[in-house]
Formats: sequence, C-alpha cells, structure tokens
Amino acid sequence: MSAPATVTTAPVLSFPPPIFAKLSPSPFLLAHLKPSASNTPAIRPNGRVPSEHRTPTINTNSLTHGSGSAVVRVGDTAVVCGVRGELLLASNIPHPRRDNADRSDTEISDLGLLVPNLELSTGCSPAHLPSNAPGTLAQSLSQRVLSLLQKSDLVSLQDLEILYRPPVTDPDMPDETPETVVKAYLGLYIDILFISLDGNPFDAAWLAVVAALRDTRLPQAWWDADREMILCSDSVRESRKLSTRCTPIASTFAIYMPGTVQQRRSSQESWMLADPDGFEEELCDETVTIVLDCSKGNTSGILKVEKNGGGTVGRALMRRMLSEAERKWHDWSSALEVTDAV
Amino acid sequence: MTVPTAQLSHLHRADGSATYSQAGYSVVGAVNGPIEVQRRDELPEEAAIEVNIRPAIGVGSTKERHLESILHSTLRHVILIHNYPRTLIQITLQIISTPEDEAAFGKHSSLSVLPSLLQTSILALLSASIPLAMTFASTVIAVMPSGKLETNPSVKSLAQASSVHVFAFSSTGHLLVVESEGSFDMDTWDSACAEAESICCSPKEDGDQMDDDASSENLQTFLKQAMEKKVERDLRWKQQS
Repeated sequence: MSAPATVTTAPVLSFPPPIFAKLSPSPFLLAHLKPSASNTPAIRPNGRVPSEHRTPTINTNSLTHGSGSAVVRVGDTAVVCGVRGELLLASNIPHPRRDNADRSDTEISDLGLLVPNLELSTGCSPAHLPSNAPGTLAQSLSQRVLSLLQKSDLVSLQDLEILYRPPVTDPDMPDETPETVVKAYLGLYIDILFISLDGNPFDAAWLAVVAALRDTRLPQAWWDADREMILCSDSVRESRKLSTRCTPIASTFAIYMPGTVQQRRSSQESWMLADPDGFEEELCDETVTIVLDCSKGNTSGILKVEKNGGGTVGRALMRRMLSEAERKWHDWSSALEVTDAV
Repeated sequence: MTVPTAQLSHLHRADGSATYSQAGYSVVGAVNGPIEVQRRDELPEEAAIEVNIRPAIGVGSTKERHLESILHSTLRHVILIHNYPRTLIQITLQIISTPEDEAAFGKHSSLSVLPSLLQTSILALLSASIPLAMTFASTVIAVMPSGKLETNPSVKSLAQASSVHVFAFSSTGHLLVVESEGSFDMDTWDSACAEAESICCSPKEDGDQMDDDASSENLQTFLKQAMEKKVERDLRWKQQS
C-alpha cells in the first residue's frame, strides 16, 4: 500500500550553454544581453560588455622575405599581412604625366602603386572553403582596404619615387641645373592572409595593413645611368623606413535585434555590439564601420563611415558610436606604438 | 541640378525592369523572381537574393563585388524575403553610361554610381511587384573644401571634394545606407546627413503650401510619380476613349 521508497524526480531538460547556443543562437544572445535578474549586468556570451572591443596582439617583422610584415591577432581572428616592393619603370608607363602640377595626390591611385589582396580561402573558417576562388566577402574586403589606402594618404608618394638628377654636362652653362626626373616607382604589394576568422575581418585586416606598412623598410634604390637600370642596395643599413602619415583605425559595430522579422519591425529594441565575433556577426544584419584618425591633434578626423543592412542607426546613435570608436582608436594605436618601440 | 529620369517595365522578358538616369549615370535593372533556386543557394526560411552588377566597360571587378554586397544587405532588409522561402530573387543591374569625363577624375571611387544603382534596383523591384517592407531613395552629397555642401555634384566637384557621402533613406524615414569617405568630422557628416534626408524623404505634412520646386527635387515624390505613370499606363485599357 505504501508508495515505493525511491522517489524518482522527473528529469529536468537542460542543456549546457554551448548546445543552447547552437540550437537557438538568437535567444541565447538575448538571454545574455537582457538578463532576467535586474541586478546582473548585460554581458555578451564572449565575456565582454556590449561596447567593449577586443585587445589586439601585434607582431611585426616576422616574415623574412618581405619588406615589411605583421601578424595581428584580435581574439580568435588572426591575420598575416606582408608588404613587398616591386619596381615600376617610368618608361613602362603608357601615358606619361602631362604636368607636374597637382599630380601627387592622385598619382598613387592612378598608377596603382598600392595593391592589396585579401585571402580568406585558407581554411580560416568553415564558411570559407580552402583553395576556393575568392568569394564576395574577400573581394569586397579587398576593395574596402584599397579605397581606404587611397583615400587616407597613409603612404606618401615621395617614399615610392626613385629620382635621378642628371649630372651637369655643359660646364659652360653652370646656371642650367638639370631637372630631377622620376625614373621609377616602387609599387607595394600588400598581401593579407586570414589564418583564422572569428568575426570582424575588416578591423583586423586594416590593423595588419597599418602595422605592416609601419614596419616596412624599402631598399636604397637609384638609377644607374651607365647601365640604364635601377640598382638596389643589399645593405639593411642603407634601407629607409617607409613613413606613414597617419594612423587610421577601423571600428566595426553590429546591431543586434532580437525576435522574428515581424517582431523586429514593430519593436525598437536593439543592442550595439562593438567588435562582433563570428557568433554575433551571424545574428546581426546591420553593421557600421567607422575609420578614425585622431593622430593629428585631438579633433576626431573621420576617414570613412560605412553602414548598411538595416535602419536602426540614426544620427544620435552614430555619435555614440563615434565616441566608442575614439576610445578604441586610443587603445589600438597605443598597441601599435608599443609594437614599434620593441 | 540634373533631373533624374526613370522608365519602368520596358524589358518584356524580365518580371520587372527599370532604367534610371541621373548625373550622367544610366543604369538598366531587371528583376526576376521569385524563381527556382539552385540547391546550393537555397535558404530554408527566406528567399535568396542575387545581385549582379555589370560595369559599363569590361567585366566586373572587386569594385562591383563590393557594390553588390552593399545592395544585397540593403535589399535583404527591404524585400519581404520571409514570405518566399526557398526561392530566388535575382536582380541584374547593367550600367549603360557613365559621365564622359569620369576617367579623368575619380575612376577609383565607387561611390558616385551607388545612388543610381540603388534607385534602379528599387524601381525594378516595384516594377516586378515584389512585396517590399518599404521603399528607399538615395543620393550623393559632396562637401567641398570650403565647407559648402553640393548636392548632385558633378564629376569634377567629386574629385575636388574633401569628402563624399552617399546616403539612402527608407520611406519610413530611417537611415539605411551610409558610405562616406574623405576627411571630415561629425558635424560635417551630420549636416550632410540632414541635407540628404531633405532630398530623399518626402516633406513632412505641414500645411498645403507645398513648393513645386521642393517636390520635384524630392526623390520619394519622384519614385511615386514614376510609379503613378506606370500604373496609369497599365490601366489604359480600362479608360474610356
């Protein structure tokens, strides 16, 4: 008559967090950002608060065969960037410059002296199959790096020109000093390889480009009039450092909106996630990228703003993002300074 | 100021089509959809969107891929993709003419063509009667070194400008796309954004005295007029002679 002694409790259906994240990623992220207990702060699954970015680790000069290189690691995103110089003879340029007046600001882009290429097909993430042709994302990132290189004036043309001043031939006319001519240019191939991709490829790739260019040493090169060719010196001591004129840092933000599409249209609830990782990036449609250069004084010089994928970010939120981006600029640029000092 | 022109549903074999011309750029767009999707691109819960951009000369490069990805993420937000799971909506945009002196100036900038591409895509989608959550309008603004804002900038002023901004606003008044490059600060960006908003969004209902000039410059009104013209033509058979 008595009940069995052993009381069997109904098994509670519970998952460990990784399985919860895989099964229903969006509610998992929402549970982190909007904790049920009011005194718990909102912390993303990766342990950061929403406006917190990852701290980069930068190693420069690790490749032996390039003019400059950098390995940048931001969380689980790791990028290698190598810079290699190649000569472009002025005589090989099909349409020589018409005038010397205001060429310098567009010369680098007109001649294509900076050639970035970004490679994602290295097995860096399951979404990008190794040894495939570059996909839309890789091509789009290459284009963004290229246009930023051209617009930011990071590299000055003077560093890439190889000048030649012909000797005075006629001793009778000492007044006539011969004009300095550009005999060749150094084109820079900037190759960016992703070893591992865990969200936010553009910020990491751009930091790697800046770090690699700051590390670049170009060989002493001169025009040899007798041999009619460009000669380069082997000596490292004679090589000169490429000067970078500014320190642009990119900051990407993703906007997370919970719920289904229908719910999203009605509700205004959204979170700004700075420096999203791969898991968050999959759940966010809208992204904003701001490229800043605060190195010239304290005024924030914006070099680029890109935003697409949704309509949440208005002018007010953009200002908030800018102040976050400024904070990130100080953190990341000091990481670059530390690397230079080593 | 260059007046934009649009022509809708003029390609007979596509589900929807539009030609949009402004500031020297002319783009033909064709939309097919919802159509069957290749197994590999099929999405279980939404329609796949494919955007193809063909340049005026040559084959597409990284620049076109970048523009495609901007359009793709914008249109994903605009089209009601969840109504058509496991289908494909294909948007093909062919740039047919570019300003004559483009090669001499900003041949590397991809920004100046973006408003025309966005406008063509929305007109073509409307022409194909694809269900949309909203429409949008897009414009480009150049900030000259003097600080003056120039709307509908010529190719020359785009080359001289200290910064160039492309904005797209939805019909609901939200900021959808921003592509700004150059060197500028937040206040400049803010004023450029406000200027673009007044061009893109229909004027607020504040009385009846609507300026004729203002309404013709307004892109949302332009979109409405282009659609009205198309509907009028479609219903011609109903009209008494």
